[in-house]
Amino acid sequence: MQIPNSVEWTERSRELTRLLSRVALGDRQAFEALYRSTSAQLFGVVLRINSDRAQAEEVLQEVFVNVWRAAGGFDAALSQPLTWLTSVARNRAIDSLRRRAAEPSTISRFQGSEDDDGGERDLLDALPSAAPGPLELLAQASQAHALAECMERLSGEQRASLALAYYQGLSHAEVAEQMSQPLGTVKSWLRRGLLSLRSCLDRAAGLMSATKGVA
Amino acid sequence: MDYSRPATAERLAAEYALGTLRGGARRRFERLLPAHPALQDALQAWQQRLQALAAPVAPVMPPSQVWANVQRRLFGEPLPKPSGWAKLGLWQGFTGVASTAALALAVLLGQPVLAPASRPPLVIVMNSTEAGATIVKVGFVASVSADGGALTVKSLGELTIEEGRVLELWAVPGKGAPQSLGLLAGGKATVLRAALLNGTSAFAVSMEPAGGSLTGAPTGPIVSVGTI
Repeated sequence: MQIPNSVEWTERSRELTRLLSRVALGDRQAFEALYRSTSAQLFGVVLRINSDRAQAEEVLQEVFVNVWRAAGGFDAALSQPLTWLTSVARNRAIDSLRRRAAEPSTISRFQGSEDDDGGERDLLDALPSAAPGPLELLAQASQAHALAECMERLSGEQRASLALAYYQGLSHAEVAEQMSQPLGTVKSWLRRGLLSLRSCLDRAAGLMSATKGVA
Repeated sequence: MDYSRPATAERLAAEYALGTLRGGARRRFERLLPAHPALQDALQAWQQRLQALAAPVAPVMPPSQVWANVQRRLFGEPLPKPSGWAKLGLWQGFTGVASTAALALAVLLGQPVLAPASRPPLVIVMNSTEAGATIVKVGFVASVSADGGALTVKSLGELTIEEGRVLELWAVPGKGAPQSLGLLAGGKATVLRAALLNGTSAFAVSMEPAGGSLTGAPTGPIVSVGTI
């Protein structure tokens, strides 16, 4: 899926904003239209994080129950509607993982074969699933966006740990386990990765309002 | 931990948005969020930054059962034939303003409203929504003259709102888009317009950028709703 061009994006944003404001006022038809328009996208987001189909369906239900109740809190001046909806979906999906066994069911990709150029040699290609892996998704996300340039600046470890956390919903400890690295090392990759991403993206997007937090 | 420190707010917001903030720390962050604007700003910025990562995730059509269950959980039954605003009276985010409202109502009713003696004015208590309860904290009361030509709205208590934001009043029809009735200055507004109640099923107050909504529809959080 390509990131829509800016005109489409704005139109879609505007339509979703309109629907959300109707939902906030209790309009059930607008709620249904919002569901039809966004549920597949949000279900995809939820399934990335919680791949248990039955649990993911339960999460999606909670997401829309939550959207109905909290739509009044959406503020178009502060965030894009799809960002808001995606955040609700991601939060619910992450919450649903609390019951998950501590043991990740995926194959460790990094099996301690750390090499000089940052552990890029991994087992991703050997994964049996047809679904794109986190790094492939990251590459796709980067393609049509300022993200590309910013991702380039991260080290391989920073990129991989960010992708595992974002797309698989892994905690610090789980990312460390997945990459066969000490927890402290992974935490510092993530932290530096995020900081570098922030300064780079903010420069690119002119999103300067939130950059006063000096790390 | 001092959550208003920019560096702390930044780190927590980033980890929350990425999803690596877990367990008790995640719960604590969610509890603190409503009272810490710095945290909210930082989180919104991070969610926006990371949103680009969600774009390539392939959509997956959920089974129809999901929508049926959402409706059952919220409404007890699927959507009946066209009746968009049926839910208004059952707004989920009611707060405890009802008794305050009743008290204030008694005070307000003591004041004469331009109306023929034969029919009393229509008084509508506008309850805070969940969002409204944290933003403006007070509800509103609307009274419409019996001839439907004059509307007065007042806040039920002292209003403090963020600088650069204003409150806008809306007439919400049973069908179609809400119509702006103008801004609430100092928590009050008087609207003189014929047939205010024609086709109107509720009044609502939203928070908007200074000068009011530019789109003709509410863009900010709906802080208060009252059904007629």
